[in-house]
Amino acid sequence: MTTLGATAIRAARRFASSLPALFGVLIFTFLLMRVLPGDPAVFFASGPNSGKEEIETIRKQMGLDKPVPQQLFLYLYDVGRGNLGRSLMTGQNVTKDLRERLPASLELTFSALLIALVLAIPLGVLAALKPGSLIDHGVRLFCALGVCVPTFVSGLLLIYIFYYLFGVSPDPTGRVDIFTTLPPAHTGFLLIDFALAGDFDGWWAAFKQLILPACTMALFVIAPLARITRASMLASLGSDFVRTARSVGLSWWRIIVTYALRNAILPVITIAGIVFSTMLGANVLVEKVFSWPGVASYALDALLSSDYAPVQGFVLLMASVFVIVNLVVDVLYGIADPRISIG
Amino acid sequence: MGLMYSKQMLGAAAALAFFTAAVPAKAQTRAETLRYVTGAAVNTLDPNIPGSTREAFAVSLSTYDRLVSFGRKQLNGKWVFDLDTIRGELAESFDVSPDGLKITFKLRKDATFQDGSPVTAEDVKWSLDRAVTAKILGKAQLLTGSLTDASQFKVIDPTTFEVTLPQPDKLALPNLATVYPIIINSKVAKAHATEEDPWAQAWLKENTAGSGAFIIEQFKPGEQVILKRNDAWNRGPDGKQAFFKRLIVQSVPEPATRANLVEKGDADIVIDLQASDAQALEAKGKLQVISTPQYNALTFISMNNQMAPFDKPDVRRAVAYALPYDDMFKAALFGRGAPLFGATWADSKPPSGAFPIPQPVKLDLEKAKAYLKAAGYPDGFSTTFSFNVGQAATAEPMAALLKESLAKIGIKVDIQKLPDAQMSTQITEKKLPFFTEGVVAWLPSTDYFYRNFYTGNQRWNYSSIDNAELTAVAQKARFEADKAKYEADGKVLNAMNFDLMPQIPLWQPSQDAVMASNLTGYTYQFHRQVDYRDLSRK
Repeated sequence: MTTLGATAIRAARRFASSLPALFGVLIFTFLLMRVLPGDPAVFFASGPNSGKEEIETIRKQMGLDKPVPQQLFLYLYDVGRGNLGRSLMTGQNVTKDLRERLPASLELTFSALLIALVLAIPLGVLAALKPGSLIDHGVRLFCALGVCVPTFVSGLLLIYIFYYLFGVSPDPTGRVDIFTTLPPAHTGFLLIDFALAGDFDGWWAAFKQLILPACTMALFVIAPLARITRASMLASLGSDFVRTARSVGLSWWRIIVTYALRNAILPVITIAGIVFSTMLGANVLVEKVFSWPGVASYALDALLSSDYAPVQGFVLLMASVFVIVNLVVDVLYGIADPRISIG
Repeated sequence: MGLMYSKQMLGAAAALAFFTAAVPAKAQTRAETLRYVTGAAVNTLDPNIPGSTREAFAVSLSTYDRLVSFGRKQLNGKWVFDLDTIRGELAESFDVSPDGLKITFKLRKDATFQDGSPVTAEDVKWSLDRAVTAKILGKAQLLTGSLTDASQFKVIDPTTFEVTLPQPDKLALPNLATVYPIIINSKVAKAHATEEDPWAQAWLKENTAGSGAFIIEQFKPGEQVILKRNDAWNRGPDGKQAFFKRLIVQSVPEPATRANLVEKGDADIVIDLQASDAQALEAKGKLQVISTPQYNALTFISMNNQMAPFDKPDVRRAVAYALPYDDMFKAALFGRGAPLFGATWADSKPPSGAFPIPQPVKLDLEKAKAYLKAAGYPDGFSTTFSFNVGQAATAEPMAALLKESLAKIGIKVDIQKLPDAQMSTQITEKKLPFFTEGVVAWLPSTDYFYRNFYTGNQRWNYSSIDNAELTAVAQKARFEADKAKYEADGKVLNAMNFDLMPQIPLWQPSQDAVMASNLTGYTYQFHRQVDYRDLSRK
C-alpha cells in the first residue's frame, strides 16, 4: 500500500513538473509556425480565380489579420477551453480530427510495439546466452536488416508480397475493409470495439488490415530493443547473484527469467518508452503507405500546407503523450525494481 | 437428440441458402459500385468554401446540379468537355435575347431535390445570390462572366428565371456550368442559416441540400466519401439516372498503392498515378489507360520580368533557346502530353489565334549565346530555379536537365525545392526570379489566358509582365463578338507573346486515367477530375 502511495505521489509530482515544459512547447510551436515562410491564406486561396480578396477572407477567418501577441493570447485562451482551432485542410475542428485519428495511431503503435517486444526480448536473451555463436550473429543480422531498410520500403515490399502476389491480405487502404460496417465507437480502437460488439468477422477484418503495417513498424524497432536486451542480459548474467544462483543449483528457467531478466529489464523499459513515443510521431511513412488515417500523416499534410492549427495541436498532443509515457515508464520501473520507489 | 439433429440440419441449410443467395448479391454490388482512389482528399461538401480541393469539386458535381452543363466532343479520338455546346441540366431550355443582355431559363418541371421537394426559381435565385454575395469562391469565378450582383437575377414565375447582363458576355452562360454555381435547396439551407452566417456556409460545408445524381451516405473529410445513387435523378445527357448504385471516393496517399489497387481490380479508376506507373500499366495491357492532353492547362518556365537579369527580353530569349526541350519532355513526362515547342511558324507569324499553340523554339545554343551577348551578359550570370515539392516527380528531372544545359551558355543555376505553401507565397510576393509552375483555365479562351496569366500585379501573372499594349488587346478581345476579329486579336497576342518571351510554355501534360477495362464513358472535364456521372460498366 505504501509503495503504491509513494508511486502515485511521485507520478503526480512528475506530472506537475512537466506542465511548464508543455506550456513552453505550446508557445514555441505557435511562434515557429508563424516564422515559417509559407502563408496558409495564399496556399488555400488557390482556386483558379482567387485573388487578394479571397486571401484576405481566409486570413481573417484564421485570425491572421491580428498582431501576433494578440493571436497568441487568443490561442492560449482557446487551448485553455479545450479548443485547438479549426483545420483548413479538413475543414474540421482539430480536436475532433485528433480524437478520431489518435486511436488509429495508438492501435497501430501498440500492436507494433507488442510484436516488437514479443520478438525482441527472446531474441536478445538468446543472443546473450550464447554470445559469439551462430544464433548471436543471426540475431545481429536480422536486426541490422530491420534497421537499415526504410519503413516505406519494407511496407511496400510486404504489400507487394502479401497483397499483390499472394492476395492473402486485404487491400492496404485504411483500418478496415471499406464494405465492413463499423462497430459503435467506445474506445476508438477497432479491435476492442469489434470485440465489444461481438462482431468477430469485423474483428478479423480489422486485424487483417492491421497486421501488415504493424509488422512494418515492428521490424524497424526490433533492433534497438533486441540489442539493449542482449547487452543488459550479458551484464546481468555475468553478475555475482547469477553465479550464486547457479552454484546453489536453481533451475535454469528461474535463473534466466526470475533473476537475470528481471534485473536486465530496466533499460529495456526505458528504451521501449522512448521507442513508443517516437513511433507514434514518426510512423508517418507507414501511415502514408497503408493509407492509415493516423495523426502523423495528418500533421505532415498540415505542415506542407502551412495549416497552423493542426500542426500546433499535433505537437501539443505528442508532448502530452511523451509526458504520459514517461510517467508510465516511471511506474513500471517501480514494479520492476522496488528500490526506485523508496528513493 | 433428433430435435437437435434437425436443428443443425436447418442451420446448415439456412447457411447454405444464405451463401448461395449472398454470393451473387455481393458480386452484383461490387459491379454496381464505382471505387475511385486518389492521392488528394475531399475536405468540404460545398465547393464554394475557400480552400476546397479539386476532389471536393468532383464530389459536388455529383451531389448538386447546376442550371446548365457542358456537352462533350471527341478530340483525337478521346472524349473531352466541349465549351461550345451547352445543354440544360436543371434548365429544360434557355434563351439568349438578340441583344445578348438577357438569358431566360425554363426550369424542368419534374426536377426535385433529394428531400423530394420541387426545384423552383426561388431556389435558383437564392443559390446564385449566394454565389455572388457571400464570401465564397464562386464570386471571383462568376465575375469573369459579368455576373456580379444579386439584382441581375430575377424570378419570373416558379419555373422561369431570368439573368440580366450589363453587356453581352460570351462567358456568362459557360460560367453557370462551372463548379461553383450549385443550385441549393433554399428552404433547407435557410433553416440552417444564422445571423453571422446568413448563407449557411458552415452547415453546407458538412451537409448537402442539392438535387444531384448521388446522395451522400458517409463523409469523412480527408479519408473517404461514400455516396448512393439518387434514383429520381434524370439530368444526364440521355435523361437517365446515373449508372452506378454506389460510389466510393477514397484517399490513398501512396501512388504505388493506388497503382496496385487498380491493377488488382480493387479500385475501378484512378487519375493521379505517377507517369512511370501509368506507362507500365498501359504496357501490361490488362487495364484501359486513357491519356488526354489537358487542353485547358499548361506548364511554364517563368522568369520574373521585373527582376534583373530577366528584365531584359534578350536574356529571356537566350533561356528559351537554351532549354533541352525534348530531353525534358521525356524525362519529366515520359513523353505523355502535348509539346508546346519545336513548331515552325510560316513567315514567323503565329498560325492561329488560339492559346496555347506550339512555339517556334528549340535547343540552339549558338543562338542562345548570341542573345545573351546582346543582352550584355556574355559570360552569363547566376540565378536560382524553384519548384514546389508537390511537383517534384516531374520538376526534379526537368530542373536537373535545365541546369546542365544553361551551364553551357554560362548561366549558373541553383535548384531550390520549396514546400507548396512557401512557393505560392513567394510567387504572390513576386520574389522568385526563375521557376516552373502550371496554370489551368476552366473556360479556356485566348483572351482569358492572356488576361489572367499575362496582365496585372497579381499572383497568376507569374512572369510579372506589365505591357500596356498586350493588356489593351486582351481587354478588347474580351467582349469581341465577331469571330474573325477575335481570331485576329489572338494572333496579335500570340505574336507579342513570342516576341516578348515573358515566360516559356513547355507542354500540356496528359491526364492519365487508368481504369478497369469494362468501364466506359470517361470524359476529360474542365475541372480535371472524373465526373462520376459519365461512367458506366459494360
